Amino acid sequence: MVELRNVSFRYGSKGADTVNSLSNVELRVRRGEFVLLTGPSGCGKTTVLRLINGLIPHFYPGVIEGSVTVGGKSVPERELYETAMQVGSVFQNPRSQFYNVDTTGELAFGCENRGLPEDEILERIDGTVERFGIEKLMDKNIFRLSDGEKQKIACASADVGGAEIILLDEPSANLDHETTLALRELIMLWRKQGKTIIAAEHRIAYLWDLIDRAVIMREGRIAKELGGTEKDSLTDGELSAMGLRSITQEAPDGIALPSFKSEDTAITLRDFTFFHPGAKRPTFSIPELRLAAGEITAITGANGAGKTSFLNCLCGLEKRCCGTLEYDGRHYGRRARQKLCFMVMQDTGNQLFTESVLEEVLISLPKGTANEKERAAELLKALDLEGFSERHPQSLSGGQKQRLAIACALASGRKLLLLDEPTSGLDYAHMTETADLLKSLRAMGTTILVVTHDGELIRACCGRKLCFPPDRAEP
Amino acid sequence: MTYSSERSREERRGFLDPRTKLALVLILALFVMGGLGGDQLKPIKTVLSALPFLLLLIERQWGRFARGAAMLAAGYGLLFLMPFLPGVLNYIALLCGGVLTRFVVTVVMGEYLIATTSVSEFISAMERLHMPQAITIPMSVMFRLFPTIGAEWRSIRRAMAMRGISFGGAKATQVLEYQLVPMMTSTVRIGEELSASALTRGLGGPMRRTNICRIGFRAQDCILFAGCLFVIAVWIMELCGVKLW
Repeated sequence: MVELRNVSFRYGSKGADTVNSLSNVELRVRRGEFVLLTGPSGCGKTTVLRLINGLIPHFYPGVIEGSVTVGGKSVPERELYETAMQVGSVFQNPRSQFYNVDTTGELAFGCENRGLPEDEILERIDGTVERFGIEKLMDKNIFRLSDGEKQKIACASADVGGAEIILLDEPSANLDHETTLALRELIMLWRKQGKTIIAAEHRIAYLWDLIDRAVIMREGRIAKELGGTEKDSLTDGELSAMGLRSITQEAPDGIALPSFKSEDTAITLRDFTFFHPGAKRPTFSIPELRLAAGEITAITGANGAGKTSFLNCLCGLEKRCCGTLEYDGRHYGRRARQKLCFMVMQDTGNQLFTESVLEEVLISLPKGTANEKERAAELLKALDLEGFSERHPQSLSGGQKQRLAIACALASGRKLLLLDEPTSGLDYAHMTETADLLKSLRAMGTTILVVTHDGELIRACCGRKLCFPPDRAEP
Repeated sequence: MTYSSERSREERRGFLDPRTKLALVLILALFVMGGLGGDQLKPIKTVLSALPFLLLLIERQWGRFARGAAMLAAGYGLLFLMPFLPGVLNYIALLCGGVLTRFVVTVVMGEYLIATTSVSEFISAMERLHMPQAITIPMSVMFRLFPTIGAEWRSIRRAMAMRGISFGGAKATQVLEYQLVPMMTSTVRIGEELSASALTRGLGGPMRRTNICRIGFRAQDCILFAGCLFVIAVWIMELCGVKLW
């Protein structure tokens, strides 16, 4: 059904001296097969998917050697819209894959483009809505949906299109445990219908038992193919040696950690209540909550529970939330908290403003710091960024941006570090790096709160855990 | 009850056809914002100014109505206060009041268009006007991009507040640059991802698109169109020197 024969590819034009993103890739996927592509970040998984759905070379230009065919037809030679009828894609970022503003229009979009008769489109939509059980999401504004709901709509939209081949590019990166399981259900539906599925993923646990074959990639090559019994007998240890994530799908709620121990020094929050604009009921309402100072606390909870809003309130960024924080005998109001907390946001790129990595750290140092430059260089070294001090922050990789943001946090001398989903979309090696970094920050006396769905990260570094919202979960 | 997209499309049909909304935006932009026409058109302009607010009420967009009305009230308030203010404040009030009273109405009409028209309806309307895809597609992306840019903007403002960068500080001159750099990078990235996703779903193919939305002229559209023609007719007559009232 899908065939890549001896494919090498590099982005850019012919003369450009870029490195190969893919080298000599051989991949054959039969009709009805479910293949998982996995491997460390930058190994070429996404590039393979782009070759199959035709975005390479029609949207991302580059030099292809070898042949890519779908259903016997060459993808590079065919027009993109022709491939689009056979291949449906679901992407990683739920915020940027919708063309419409309303959910129903989004489901119809692919079929409308193809010029199918209206009645047939309506019929198809009704069928998908029923099978996926998404009646509640219809006729909604997409900007009001949670990430999990958006991803469901993206899958439903591929389903309405009726493609025989479904490509999934890290669809679970932003999803919580429950929603990931819901995604698994949708994939099982497609399996039952006999669709050909190719998924690129780091978080492999939720689909490990569904796949026929796992293709492990490394530096643009296929390093290993695992099928049948070989796949089933693998242990977590062998997987992490290959740089892969665990295959045990663990609910973060199942990890037993206290949220606060009696011997901990308390950071006490009082009267944290938050309403979304126009909402009648509060997103969360916390009369009192004690957090452990000097520890790493994981904050877990479903998509849409208000975890990110909670971090915003904690940082004093929400004018509508008027709670207080008590720490070390001092009371911090909203304004004061802005100077106490530092948040590493999900979109780290949105919090880096200057033209060079060094300048970014310099503007974070408190005014009048002695030997500014030396101090900044020291911090960059500590975070493994010393070779990058002249680079533009926006040109760094995701992990590097994250470390730069943390360097700024350290430079500003804030006591409380908050991180929003720091490991979404990270491979095993980068996840452990982040965990080690957090542990060393803790050793330096920083209090850390991490909003995360990542069971492995919690196991690797967190000492406390808080289920959000706390009023429901605490006994 | 099972979901029926057939039923929902009837329920969701807008009060006006998108083409009527576009015509109204155009007329308001020319006559109210652009200030076309002289004394004879004054009473007509007053009626025109009330129109977007009326439409917002019909479509139950309470929030937008309140915001627009407040802005307009602020504009007239400033013009009213202006004579009592000293020196420079007088000029500032005149300027702000003038800008608000001129622009708000048309902006509200534009907001009404964007808030109450789905992408599908818009594309469908543009096709019936025989607009080429090269114009329709970029314009339809706007519907999607404005709210996204708004969200990015808020997120960047927050990040700046958290990092302690704000207007009035020693770094005030650089603030704008600080805002624009991440803004542009993320807008470009989102735009690219958006296009990639739309292309994998067959946008831009040579087939004739279909649309599941219901549009078309009804009585209210005809009345408003007649209104638009009337405004233009009065304007032309005024240009020719005909005294109407």
